[in-house]
Amino acid sequence: MQVGLLSTYRNPVQNRAAMAWLWALLLMAFYIDLYFFDHLDVAARLVHLPSKWTLYGLLYSVAMCVGGYFMLRKHGSSRYHQVRTAVLVAVQCTLGFLLPLALDFMGRPAYYFSYFFPLKYDILFPGTLKDMPVAVAIWFIAGSFVGVPLLVFYKGKRAYCSWICGCGGLAETFGDPWRHLSDKSDRAWRVEQISIYMVLALVFVMFGLVIGDAYAADGSAVRAVAQHTRSFYSFAIGSVFSGVLGTGLYPLMGTRVWCRFGCPMAAVLGLIQKFGRFRVTVKKDMCIACGNCSTYCEMGIDVRAYAMANQDFKRASCVGCGMCAHVCPRGVLRLETRDDAGPHEAIGTWTLDL
Amino acid sequence: MAVAAPHHVIVGNSIAGIEAAITLRNRDRSARITVISAEHPHPFARVSLMYVFCGQLSLKDTQFYPEDLYDRMRFERVTDRVVAVDAAQRTLRLMSGATLAFDTLLLAVGSTARKLPWSNAYADPALPRLVHHFVTLNDLHALDAAAKPGMSVAVIGGGLIGVEAAEVLQQRGLKTHFLIREPWYFPVALDAQESGMVAEHMRGHGVDCRTECSVQGLERAGSKVRLLGPELEVDLVVGAIGVEPATAFLAGSGIALNPETGGVETKDNLESTSCRGIFAAGDCAQVTWLDGSRRPEQLWYTSRDQGRIAAAAMLGDDVCYRRGTWYNSAKFFDVEYTTAGFLPPERTPAGSGWQTWFQRAPDRAVSQRIVVRNGAVKGFNGLGGRWNHNVWMQWIQQRRSLEWVLAHMNEARFDEEFTSPFTVLPSAALTEGA
Repeated sequence: MQVGLLSTYRNPVQNRAAMAWLWALLLMAFYIDLYFFDHLDVAARLVHLPSKWTLYGLLYSVAMCVGGYFMLRKHGSSRYHQVRTAVLVAVQCTLGFLLPLALDFMGRPAYYFSYFFPLKYDILFPGTLKDMPVAVAIWFIAGSFVGVPLLVFYKGKRAYCSWICGCGGLAETFGDPWRHLSDKSDRAWRVEQISIYMVLALVFVMFGLVIGDAYAADGSAVRAVAQHTRSFYSFAIGSVFSGVLGTGLYPLMGTRVWCRFGCPMAAVLGLIQKFGRFRVTVKKDMCIACGNCSTYCEMGIDVRAYAMANQDFKRASCVGCGMCAHVCPRGVLRLETRDDAGPHEAIGTWTLDL
Repeated sequence: MAVAAPHHVIVGNSIAGIEAAITLRNRDRSARITVISAEHPHPFARVSLMYVFCGQLSLKDTQFYPEDLYDRMRFERVTDRVVAVDAAQRTLRLMSGATLAFDTLLLAVGSTARKLPWSNAYADPALPRLVHHFVTLNDLHALDAAAKPGMSVAVIGGGLIGVEAAEVLQQRGLKTHFLIREPWYFPVALDAQESGMVAEHMRGHGVDCRTECSVQGLERAGSKVRLLGPELEVDLVVGAIGVEPATAFLAGSGIALNPETGGVETKDNLESTSCRGIFAAGDCAQVTWLDGSRRPEQLWYTSRDQGRIAAAAMLGDDVCYRRGTWYNSAKFFDVEYTTAGFLPPERTPAGSGWQTWFQRAPDRAVSQRIVVRNGAVKGFNGLGGRWNHNVWMQWIQQRRSLEWVLAHMNEARFDEEFTSPFTVLPSAALTEGA
């Protein structure tokens, strides 16, 4: 029994009751206002912050600090969660809030140094790079194409998604009470495998068009298409999917809807993870099929199927939050990085279709 | 002339029964397979009942195969209770009055809670509402409805079900008395030092954990129950003195049952000793243990293995169920427990060739015990940490020395990252006897 998880199924807010819908509506309303209206700019000026984005950074950091406190009250018996949560919150408060704020006050353009391409796709647009200080440009280019991929190859996707990323950070702290709501069905897995690569493809198409646009003549068709694609992506994916739905659906569909079904960064890092050193190791013949691991997996991975089949596994979607291992009452699971290529997954006898 | 496909009937859809059914289907695509269960139409993990009770999991979360398993596997589902088996006619009679013919039959009916030995606990008109168990889904529903915060409850019996019941009841806000007849908790697996540490941990959670506490009987005291012996008055009693094969309905069927345990007597291939074509697996089967004794093995892992072996035998394979080296795991509140190999349950004196190495962390509920015989390690108990029993079992087979094992202990660790490594503490001691 995991003291922090008691009554998960008794609390209406955690079980899609009216209160949960209210939370969802509030979150969505907040994001709609943030992206499409200016009320928050007014609020920001009232507290002497430069813009609504700084105010948002402040609220985000507060949500992560408070969420992180409650998360550790539940799971703080684990050193892994202590260290991971502390790093996540510290990254958000410094790189995600204080540093951009300081840059803002110094009258310099604010950069969020914890986000990389392709999640933060516009940092590498030729137009953006042109105005960027060289050191900042090197940070983003080296981080996107060398630093993060290497880290993920050796330590797993978790190194970014569950230790650094702000989206993941909010999910792991503020969103923690809703992690069990992730969809565990095969259907959800099939959808996710298509949707996440579609968004990734869209990023590359958009990027190609924007680069084409840089060399295109005024009034050319490329320019118009590039503009349309950019606004479509910014609206549909950037604002609606990752913001309004990604966070708004926490109380209804669990915390990682965006990370699982949409994030292009997660898609790329997932592919690196498949060839990398990280895997979840299963202690053979000890699983009692209780279901805690699958229930508390925010990515909707049916961890139990692997544990029952004595099958170590690498799943592209796994963000290595470590909750499956932590809640297992028989200590069956362990996150590991090893030097060999690792397991191939052919799970369970029940997959047989007759 | 076409030969009709054989009809395999499996009574019980928990791990032994469902693993047998899946094994049968994977081997024989045309056979007719019927799975009967009265408890629930879908297999669920019985060990998770405690998590369902405390709201950590929903019952659906405990269903360890996809909802459409029966369709995918073309199992015929019968949601009914078998009330009699006619071994000669090869038919079953169901509670609904229907009969069902079988070619081969697997009994995987599991166990029910052992009843408390005082007849008034079940006969008195008022007491049955107050006396509960914690084994079946019905037990769970009854206890769930009865247990209200602020009540007091006595859990009788110092085993694994007892500690699970005590844990979730205490957590729900009931004043919980955990009454253990033996000198310490779980004496078949833990020694006095380990058990003392666990008892200390339970008391730290507010449970009134009493050892050498023998309850002599129950008595109604108004709306409460008085426990004779400890002279406690409580609102509820949970009997957790073990489980026994749920085989009462087999009386008179011709299927031989062990008179002491009630388990179905089986041959090495898990076929009934008295009836050909009838098999038993899981909690209800009387099987041979590593030490040669014969009794049911009430464990999840062995039930799964027995289900698979029984299915192979039902298809005519020449198979034999053999229990390998003993291992198990459990969790006592927050203290995780892993064991492998043989740790003598009875005290063996100095000079018997047995030695015991033991250490305990000074500030936390963490300990390790290793028993050695004639220079080779024989058994391990780890509390408060995670250990890979497979590595321990390998060392036992390799007859490793204690010194070698202590130098390699970190290779058997299975803790989360950042957990401090195993070290030999100054308090570690090697004593004669085990």
